[in-house]
Amino acid sequence: MSTLGLLRTLFNPKIVTPNAIQLQSLNRTPFLVGLFFNHDQIRTMSRVKRRTTHPPYWHVLKNNQRTDEKISSDNLRFVQEVIQDKYKNKSPIKGSDLDIEKTEWDPKTKRSGVIARNIGVQHMWEKDGKKVICTVLHVLDNHVIRYVPPEEYAKSVIGAKMFKNRKPLGCLVVGAEASNPERFTRQYCSLFDEVGLLPKKRLARFIVTPNAALPPCTPLTAGHFVIGQAVDVYGKTIDYGFQGVVKRWGFKGGPASHGTTKFHRRGGTIGTGRDKARVWPGQKMPGHMGSERRFNRGLKIVRINMKYNIIYVKGTVPGPTNSIVQIFDTALPRRKFTEAPPHPTYFPPEDGTLPQEDIWDSSLHVFGSPSISV
Amino acid sequence: MLRRAFLQTFRQGLAQSFFKRYAVSLTETTVTHQPIETSDEAGEKSVPTQKTGDESGNTVVVAPPEFRFIYPEFLPDPAMERRNRLREKLERMDMLQRRSVIEIPEFYTGSIMAVTVADANSPNKFAKFVGICIQRGGSGLRAWFILRNVVDKQGVEILYEMYCPLIQKIEVLRLERRLDESLLYLRDALPEYSTFPMDMEPERRLNNSVVPINPLKVKLRPRPWLERWERQNLQGVEDLNLPQRFYDRAEKVAKPWEKYDLMLHYRKTIPAEEQEKIFAEVHSQLQQQELKRKLRRRRGSDNEY
Repeated sequence: MSTLGLLRTLFNPKIVTPNAIQLQSLNRTPFLVGLFFNHDQIRTMSRVKRRTTHPPYWHVLKNNQRTDEKISSDNLRFVQEVIQDKYKNKSPIKGSDLDIEKTEWDPKTKRSGVIARNIGVQHMWEKDGKKVICTVLHVLDNHVIRYVPPEEYAKSVIGAKMFKNRKPLGCLVVGAEASNPERFTRQYCSLFDEVGLLPKKRLARFIVTPNAALPPCTPLTAGHFVIGQAVDVYGKTIDYGFQGVVKRWGFKGGPASHGTTKFHRRGGTIGTGRDKARVWPGQKMPGHMGSERRFNRGLKIVRINMKYNIIYVKGTVPGPTNSIVQIFDTALPRRKFTEAPPHPTYFPPEDGTLPQEDIWDSSLHVFGSPSISV
Repeated sequence: MLRRAFLQTFRQGLAQSFFKRYAVSLTETTVTHQPIETSDEAGEKSVPTQKTGDESGNTVVVAPPEFRFIYPEFLPDPAMERRNRLREKLERMDMLQRRSVIEIPEFYTGSIMAVTVADANSPNKFAKFVGICIQRGGSGLRAWFILRNVVDKQGVEILYEMYCPLIQKIEVLRLERRLDESLLYLRDALPEYSTFPMDMEPERRLNNSVVPINPLKVKLRPRPWLERWERQNLQGVEDLNLPQRFYDRAEKVAKPWEKYDLMLHYRKTIPAEEQEKIFAEVHSQLQQQELKRKLRRRRGSDNEY
């Protein structure tokens, strides 16, 4: 990083978003650094908490706290009957039954995203024989829970912060992975009473323009995306726990042998003695590593399986296998849509014709086709 | 009860068929064929059948136990953190698709194979390599094997990915097994043990149901070696003739308790019940592909006359 850039960040302090580069080192220009500053590292976001384990205060309690309820088997059966009665008459709503206004797509539209599970990685080959690593994302049973119009959303805590000096946008609350109501609290289940859905294990918010709003109970599937489009995937990175300085920050540690006494994976010096004689905030030290919000941007969709609701994305996504991620249309300006995608979302055709089950990108080699000859 | 009997017959059938196929020599094996008992937990040995009944009376398709050795890459990586049944199923479907285009034959470590690959830098755009398979691994579409040969006094090893679409043809020239699962010691052996002619013709199998084990004991070059072969309990090398201190150190470093560690072996393998399910899923398609290939071969041989 150049010294000019360094000066700029110091004299024009800016709140940098959590997803930007956190700490930069100036190891490349030591003598220039010595001229102005004593420390090699710029400490941005040094006092901001990077992760919390508790949900925000406006969330309702989610999981049923009483796990060993000593109720008789008759009462248990009654409870299950009540659940059946409450939810059984709800059948999946078709696209034709939902009252969706016909809105036009324009390049400034922000569509909804989708909640998916990262089920692993599969290797595929391009038409010239080059191997690519593709992440397999399983789009879960997404349903729209509610739509919050822009004016209302701008009054909420997060909405006010997000749209402080901008035109507000709407918010779609989408839920995924329906499960047994017995494992959740009454307050959490009541969030889904309006739509009449089984409570979902996972909820997410997607910021949308008003023309991409969807009515509650709309299903979102893998067909929401287009082959060849670029997507951004949000996930929480792999949790490594408390890690030392070598793994966490890439320090070199000390020599393994040649008489070294107790200095193999330690950090070494943490400051100078003279100027600013203290440890600077943001000093790289051992600590908790991982479990952080990250976006991998611009990942290309190379294959969609409509039958199993699977998206194959070229590259890797943050988080371990079997973790939940959120997929959005990309924010990268040069890879956005030029043609209209399924807007506001994909609906299976009215005449009952099934879509093509397995759609491949033109750059990939389809496994059933003959071997590549160069 | 029937289920337990069936599981027992599967496992015994597994062990039986293993010994049946991998006879050391071509002498007869004593396999008793007893009638299938459908009643109790007698657990009698029986020849594994293609179809067997379950409690409800419906026929359940079961793959023959040999599939575990012929198609080991269909079994997923046992590491639990990265397993997902849906992804494994999709991967198996892709593998079957690829297998419908190219024949990936049965082979083992120690078999001599010829692989033809599309190569842009080759004069006739295809490159053929003949070698002995010294190691195989990977699961799913990542399955690979390494072929070794000595070309112009230079040892050459090539790692091939079995499902790579650049591969045009995989041919097994000599199907046999050796006494070890991994023949990496050939790197330290005399070159004649790794040399095979590039224009080798496929050899006819004397007995189609048995894969012979070649009891060859290989002579190693003098030390230094790439690995400490004395610590690896190799069956396929001649006496290493090392000073006693090597063997003493090997004993100190050895972990003889690992063979009693049930959980270690459990974590390294896929349970038998799951293996049955997996092979039952792919069994019919693989059989169909085999039949088609046999027909094509027969028609091809008929056309010759």
